[in-house]
Amino acid sequence: MSAPAVPSGEIVYEAAGLTKEYDDGRVAALRGVDLTIGQGEFVSIVGPSGCGKTTLLNMLGLLDRPSSGKLHFRGRDLSGIGDPAAYRAREIGFIFQSFHLLPNFTVEENVQMPMFGLPGSPRERRARAVELLEAVGLGHRLDHLPVKLSGGERQRAAIARSLANRPAILLADEPTGNLDSKNSAHVMDILLRLREEHRVTLVMVTHDQELARHGTRIVRIKDGQIVSAS
Amino acid sequence: MNFLQVIFRGLWRRPVRTGLTVLGIAIGIAAVVALVGMASGYEKSVVDQLDTVGIDVVVSNMQGGIMPKAFEESVREEIASMPGVGEANATLMQMLSVEDAPMMVVYGREWESFTWEQLQVVDGRMPRDARENAVVLGKLAAEVLGKKTGDKLQVEALEFDVVGIVDGKSVLENGAINMALPRFQAASGYEGRANFINIRVTDGLPPEGIESLCRDIEARHPGLRAVQAGEVVGTSQGFRMAQAMSWSTSLLALVVGVLGVMNTMLMSVFERKHEIGVLLALGWSRARIMSLILCESAVMGFLGGVVGVVLGAVTLAILEQTPFVRGFLEPDLGWTLALQAVLIAVAVGIVSGLYPAWRSSRLSPSTALQG
Ligand SMILES: Nc1ncnc2c1ncn2[C@@H]1O[C@H](COP(=O)(O)OP(=O)(O)O)[C@@H](O)[C@H]1O
Ligand SMILES: [Mg+2]
Repeated sequence: MSAPAVPSGEIVYEAAGLTKEYDDGRVAALRGVDLTIGQGEFVSIVGPSGCGKTTLLNMLGLLDRPSSGKLHFRGRDLSGIGDPAAYRAREIGFIFQSFHLLPNFTVEENVQMPMFGLPGSPRERRARAVELLEAVGLGHRLDHLPVKLSGGERQRAAIARSLANRPAILLADEPTGNLDSKNSAHVMDILLRLREEHRVTLVMVTHDQELARHGTRIVRIKDGQIVSAS
Repeated sequence: MNFLQVIFRGLWRRPVRTGLTVLGIAIGIAAVVALVGMASGYEKSVVDQLDTVGIDVVVSNMQGGIMPKAFEESVREEIASMPGVGEANATLMQMLSVEDAPMMVVYGREWESFTWEQLQVVDGRMPRDARENAVVLGKLAAEVLGKKTGDKLQVEALEFDVVGIVDGKSVLENGAINMALPRFQAASGYEGRANFINIRVTDGLPPEGIESLCRDIEARHPGLRAVQAGEVVGTSQGFRMAQAMSWSTSLLALVVGVLGVMNTMLMSVFERKHEIGVLLALGWSRARIMSLILCESAVMGFLGGVVGVVLGAVTLAILEQTPFVRGFLEPDLGWTLALQAVLIAVAVGIVSGLYPAWRSSRLSPSTALQG
């Protein structure tokens, strides 16, 4: 792997001295992270459990605010954004380890969820959801509830959902962490394919060194700090 | 899928809990509908009665409780001689338990006065004179008492002959037992006394004239109140008491409704913490989540309101058949009351959703996702 440490294209994220403390400073989840991510990159983030990977992803998605440090998105200071929801609605797609599908909505309805509040009629929302689900091979599962799906199918549905709002960035937190190796490979194939098709920037946290190697760049974290960025 | 479907799906998550909450509101609203329906039914029947009998002003002593206190019958002559008074007659009215009926309206009507005029004989005949030991029953009263012409009827100390059944053109008249004033005075121990003077004013007396007549009467007879027909119900002690009672009961029912919905929605917000975290991650704004919670509770209020109006209507229909209510009033459930009740229920829903909605908006997405 010979991806440059600092990307050459347009810069999407620029973090400087990012820290996050919990419980009034007793837990330091991030301790001064500097990170630059460019448009179209696929950044793998690896590191032992509890090192702060999820915390970093939450910062990028504005699910949580840093305790100190600077975080810029396309040159704009994210700490100045009053309502992060609009930013998430327009720019971000999330994929979680435990899928987080809403249990009382069908697969197709789950995929529609990120489209509320965006332009488009209910009919258009449904059409896009169907299209995305067909793209992940779930065209035959549209009206099933999530409980009826296998783990691999659930994560594929979640991937379809993450793209529903046409995001520029996908933030994936151990997307294969709950899957066996066969399903893991299948889900990874789909994710890689859709990343190309939809030209999204992908930031993926993983335990799996093999999977991490799919990234254009690997960032290693230990104890809340970046130890190497290949 | 549209937002409304999202709302119903949220409510359908816990169908039993949602159902019980809706039922809670419905019972509260039913109580409101039944009580207000009874009150306005009573008001309507009194106005109706005064109208059919053609009474312009009612004089009574309102210091008593539900029934006006009796006064000397001779007051009638003094009032009859006042300018502006066309006709005046005395009535003794009591609500009594008569034989098997728990409560009946009994009128002792001044003989040959105009209050007899609107009673139409449908069976039998009228009393021959003021001394005959006779009663005529309103047709509803006859039904409630199970009496027909020729039967005997015990009223307080005396036994009477039922000589006729009459149609009085209004619920209160049809539900009453009628006899000549002296007979009722004798039966009830109120010799020489009455508790109402009914007045017809002279033709063409303007409203200001009626008003000043009322004030004159009150000035001359301290303790008595002269009230124009349209205001009788509003000034009656008993009615005001019943109204206050029905309002406080309604208020209590509504408070219980609010607490029920609030509890349900708080539980729902707490249970769905994780789901709310997911929606926030998917780009839902806090405002949208708050409006989801508010709409869910408003929908519960609406459903409770609709079910409550139906329950209230059924309650009124049942009450209408009870001997206690029959002959006093025709419960009155109009579209306005139904609409008001549903609106109140929706307001209850929205008010109860405010705090849970606020709580939902305070959730931190990252913690909500973990939990
Ligand atoms: N909400 C929180 N409150 C307190 N401590 C937290 C919280 N979230 C994470 N932490 C702590 O911060 C550290 C980093 O957590 P996390 O980012 O989830 O690690 P990873 O995803 O790398 O396993 C851990 O020690 C974790 O216990
Ligand atoms: Mg993690």
